[in-house]
Amino acid sequence: MSITYLEAIREAQAHALRDDPRVFIYGQDVGAFGGAFKATKNLAKEFPGRVIDAPISEDAMIGLAVGAAIEGMRPIIEMQFADFSTVGFNQIVNQAATLFWRTNVPCPITVRLPFGGTSGSGPFHSQSLETIYAHYPGLVVMTPATVEDAYSMLLEAVAIDDPVIFCEHKFLYYHLKAEKLPSEALPVGKARIAREGRDMTIVAYSAMVHEALEAAAELVPEGWEIEVVDLRSVKPLDTDTVMASVARTGRLLCVGEAWPWGGVTAEVIARVTSEGFGLLDVPPQRLNAKDTPVPYHPNLWTAHRPTARAVAAAARKLLRL
Amino acid sequence: MPRIPIIMPQLGESIAEANIINFLVKPGDTVEADQDLIEVETNKASMTVTSPCRGRIEKFTAQLNESYAVGVVLGHIEATKEEASRLGLDVPAPAKTGDTDHISAPDANGGRNRVQPTVRGLPVPANAAGASYLSPRLKARMNELGLHAADLAGVAGSGAAGRVTVEDFERFIAHLEKQKITPASFMRVTVADAMRRSWTRPIAHVGLPVCLDPLFAYRKVTRPKPGPALCGLRALAVALAENSAPAGRLVGNKIVHPSSIDIAFAVEAEEGVLVPVIRHADKRSLKELIGPYNELVELARQCKLPPEVTGGSIATVTNFGTFGLTWATPIPLPEQSLVLGIGAARRTPSWDASKDRFVPVMEANLTLSFDHRVIDGGAAGRLLMRIADLITHPEQL
Amino acid sequence: MLQTVLDADPVGDATSFRDTHLTAYRFMLLARMLDDKCAGLYRAGKIHGGVFIGRGQEALSVSIGLSLKKGDVFAPLIRDTAGRLAFGEPVVDALRTYLGSVLGPMRGRDGNVHRGRPKEGYLPMVSHLGAMVSVVNGTLFARRMKGVTGMVGATCIGDGATSTGAVHEAINQAAVEKLPLVLIVADNQYAYSTPTSRQFACRDLADRAAGYGVESHSVDGTDLSACLKVVGDAVARARAGRGPQMVVATLLRLCGHGEHDDASYIDPKLKASPVGRDCLKVAEEHLLRQKWADATALAALRGEIVREIEEAVAQVQREPTPDPFTEDWRAISTGHLNEGQEK
Repeated sequence: MSITYLEAIREAQAHALRDDPRVFIYGQDVGAFGGAFKATKNLAKEFPGRVIDAPISEDAMIGLAVGAAIEGMRPIIEMQFADFSTVGFNQIVNQAATLFWRTNVPCPITVRLPFGGTSGSGPFHSQSLETIYAHYPGLVVMTPATVEDAYSMLLEAVAIDDPVIFCEHKFLYYHLKAEKLPSEALPVGKARIAREGRDMTIVAYSAMVHEALEAAAELVPEGWEIEVVDLRSVKPLDTDTVMASVARTGRLLCVGEAWPWGGVTAEVIARVTSEGFGLLDVPPQRLNAKDTPVPYHPNLWTAHRPTARAVAAAARKLLRL
Repeated sequence: MPRIPIIMPQLGESIAEANIINFLVKPGDTVEADQDLIEVETNKASMTVTSPCRGRIEKFTAQLNESYAVGVVLGHIEATKEEASRLGLDVPAPAKTGDTDHISAPDANGGRNRVQPTVRGLPVPANAAGASYLSPRLKARMNELGLHAADLAGVAGSGAAGRVTVEDFERFIAHLEKQKITPASFMRVTVADAMRRSWTRPIAHVGLPVCLDPLFAYRKVTRPKPGPALCGLRALAVALAENSAPAGRLVGNKIVHPSSIDIAFAVEAEEGVLVPVIRHADKRSLKELIGPYNELVELARQCKLPPEVTGGSIATVTNFGTFGLTWATPIPLPEQSLVLGIGAARRTPSWDASKDRFVPVMEANLTLSFDHRVIDGGAAGRLLMRIADLITHPEQL
Repeated sequence: MLQTVLDADPVGDATSFRDTHLTAYRFMLLARMLDDKCAGLYRAGKIHGGVFIGRGQEALSVSIGLSLKKGDVFAPLIRDTAGRLAFGEPVVDALRTYLGSVLGPMRGRDGNVHRGRPKEGYLPMVSHLGAMVSVVNGTLFARRMKGVTGMVGATCIGDGATSTGAVHEAINQAAVEKLPLVLIVADNQYAYSTPTSRQFACRDLADRAAGYGVESHSVDGTDLSACLKVVGDAVARARAGRGPQMVVATLLRLCGHGEHDDASYIDPKLKASPVGRDCLKVAEEHLLRQKWADATALAALRGEIVREIEEAVAQVQREPTPDPFTEDWRAISTGHLNEGQEK
C-alpha cells in the first residue's frame, strides 16, 4: 500500500473530523464534489453537515472561521488555491492573527493553502505566499515537505489553539508517495535534517527540499557531501537546527520557491549572519524564483523556479569559493 | 506523411498521470480535429483526449487500463502535410530548457581555482593569486586558537584565488600538531606582535659606510668612553633636532610630528630585545649622556626598566655590530618611523687621494630603515649623511 | 423606576413599553454623557489615539442592545456606546480601554472602540469596515452546529461600509446559510467626510436586501420608539428563523468622525432637516409628553449618571497601565510556537 501527499492530507482531515466534534471543513467545492484537488473526497458523505461548500467569498470564509473559532470550533478552511487567499488576506492577518493578542481568546483555525507551481498553472495558480503570512505576528506557517509531515502537521495544525497557515504544495500532491502514515512525528517548530552532510548546508522547505536532495545526490560523484535541512515550518523557524548545521559545514545555501525580495531564505541568512557570522566560511547564498509573476509555459516555468540543476549549480559555486 | 503524436494532456492542476479507460476510435479510423479519441480517468474526474488534427489513426501505443504521465505519447495520427502545416504541427519540438542550463555547465578547466568571476559582490578577488580574504569562520577559528594572518603564510589555500578555506586551515593545524611544539615566551610574543604590526607598513632601507677613526681617536681622550651606539644615538638626536620631519608618523592623511627628541636604543636581554629611552637626547651632550646611558643598559639587562624610560620614543638605534654583523635591515618599532642601525667596525682599505694610495681605515656600515609613506629615499639619505658627518666629527657631539 | 430591564420585551404590553423607553433613555443619556466625558479626557490629554462618539445615533444603537438577550452575539461599531451599555458592557470597560488600564478587557493592547469580550458574545471590532459581519456569521454558524437555537447575532455598519466587498460577501453568506443575522446599517449621511452621494447610487440601501434574498426594514433613526419597534421586530424575525434581517436607519452624525474632526463639511441644511434631529432630545420630549417622567426625575437621573461616570473615571485613572518590561510579548497562544521571545 502507498499513500500520496494529497491522500495524507485527506486522511488527516478525516482523522480530525472523526476525533474532534469541533472540527469542520468549509471551502469552495469541498462538499459532495470533494474539493478541486479531491483533498476532501468522500468526507462530506462520511461526516454529514461538517464538510460544507462555501460561496466564492474568501473574505467571508475566513471571517466565518474566526467567529466559529471564538465559539470553540476548530474550522479548517480550504482555499482552492493559495493565490486566492489574498482575497481573504484582511481577515487572516487582521482578524485571525490579532485576536489572541488583543483579547486573550485564541483563534484555532487552519487555513489550507494549496500552493506552489505546477507546470502550466500560470501567474494565478502557482504562488508561494508563506512569506507574507510569516511576516504577520500571530500566525503559524507550516510548509510540510513529506507525506508524513503533511499528515502529522495537519493534525497538529488543527489541534493547536492558534491560526495556522498550512501551505501544502500542489506539485507534491501526486508526485510524493509514502508507504504508510506515521504514528509519531517531530513537533511543529523543529526542523529536520533531511540528509546529513559535511561540506555545505542547504536549507529548504516544502517542494524545494526534494530539489535540494536531488542536487545533493548529483554532487556526490564530485566528492561533496551536502547536508539538507527541511525547515518544516517557516514560522516558527528553527534557527537552532540551521545554526548547528552551518556550524558543522561552514557553508549555507537557502532555497525557496517564493519570490526573492525578503522572504524565508533572506530571514534564514539574516539570522545565521547575525547570530553565527563566525560559522561561515563563505558568504551565504540564496536561490529563489525569479522576480516576475509565475509564467505559464513549461519552458519558462522550469527556468523561473529553482530546480535541482540550479540548486546544484549554486552549490558548486559556493563549494568552490 | 507527417505523424502527429497523440499526447496525454494536462487534465487539471497538479495532475501527474491518468488512466486509459476506453478507446473511442481504432487504428485506421479517420478522425476530425478535436474529436474525442480516448477516455481517461484521473483522481479528479474522467475526461477525454481529443485529436490534435484531422487524419487517420495510425496506432495507439497506450494500453487499456494503464496509467500514463502527462506529456506521454499515446499514439499517432497520420495527417496530410497541408493539415499539419495548417495547424502548425510541423514545427520540430524545441529542446527542453531544463537540459541546457548554462549556469550549471561544469568548468571547462575543471580546476577549483579557475572560478571567474566569482559570485558578484564577494570580497574574494577573482584573479589574484594568494588572496588575503579570511572568512568569518576562519577568523573566528584563528581567534579561538590565538593565530594571526601571518601564521597562515605557509598555507597554500585551495579556495577561490588561493584563499585559505577552513578545511585548509584545519589540515594545516593537524599537520603542525605532528611536530614538536613549545610555548613561546611572553617577551617573544610581545616582540612578535610589535614586529607584525610594524610590518603592515612599507619599510625601506638606505645605508652607507662611515669611517670610525675620528671616533676611536676621540674615545682615547675621553673618560668615560662613549660606545658607538651612544654616538649614533646622539648623532641621530642632533640631526633630528635640526629637522624632525623624517621622524613624523603618517596617520590617515595627516603627519604627526614628534614633540620631543626622545631616542630609544636596543639592548639584547634574555629571550628578546628591550628598548630603553633617553629623553631629550638633543638637549644634552654626548659626555652628559654616557652616565645615564650605561645605567639604562644595566637596568635593561636585568629587566628592571622603570616605566618612565620605556615607550614614547620617536626613533631607535640598534647596534647590530655587536653580533659581528656588518649589514642588516632592522624594522622600526610600530609607533616609530625610523631605526638607525650600526654595523661592526672592520679595517678596510680606503683610497687616500692626497697620498695617492690605499690606506687602512676603521669603517662600519650605517643603515637607516624608514616608513616609506613618511619620507622618500632622498630625505632618508640626507638624514643618514648628516648622521655620518656628525659621527666623523665626534667633537661636535 | 429607571433600572436596567435587559430582558424586557420591547414590543410587549403598555407597562413594559413604558419601562423599555425609560431604560432606553437611561442608556442613551449614559452613552451621551460617557462619550462627552471621553471627549473631555481626550482634550485634556488623558486619552491616547482618538475618541469616537455616537452622538445622534444613541436611539438606534440602544435599540439593538436592548433587543438582544444574554447569549446573543453583538459586534458593535464605533458609534455604539449606547448599544454596548445596553448589551451589558460596564462603564469601566469603556474607560479602561480608552485610558489603557491593564485591568480592562484589552489591557492596553488595543484601545478606544476596539473592545469586547469574545467569550461573552461581545466581539471587538477591527478597523477594517465590514469585516465583523462574517465573524458574526461564524459564531451563529458554530452555534447552529452545536445545536444552540433561538439566538441571534447583530452587527452594525455605516453607509460607508456598504461599499465594501466584505459586507457583500458576508450578507450573501448569511443568506446562503440562513443565519439569524441582524445587520444594522446606520446611514448617517457621511463616511468620514464623504457624503452618501459619493458612496452609492441606489435609491435606498434597504433596496439592496432583496438582491441577497434577505428581509429589510427602514427606520427613522432619530425616533427612539420607531427604532425600538423596528429593530426589535427584525431581531424577533431573525430569532424566529426567518433568516438574515437588514435594518437601514436614516439619521445624521451629530459629531465629527472622531474628536479630532470638526465636521465642518456637514451640510447645514441636513442639520436643520428632520434627519438632523437629536434623538436624545426627541426621546426626552417623548417621555415628558407621555408623562412617563417629569423634569425632576430627569434631573435626578442626570445627577446619578454624572456621579456614576465621575466615580468610574476616578477609579480607572488610578489603575495600572501596561508595563513594557513585564508585558508578555507573544502573539501566539501556544507558548513554544512563539519565536525567540522569552517572556
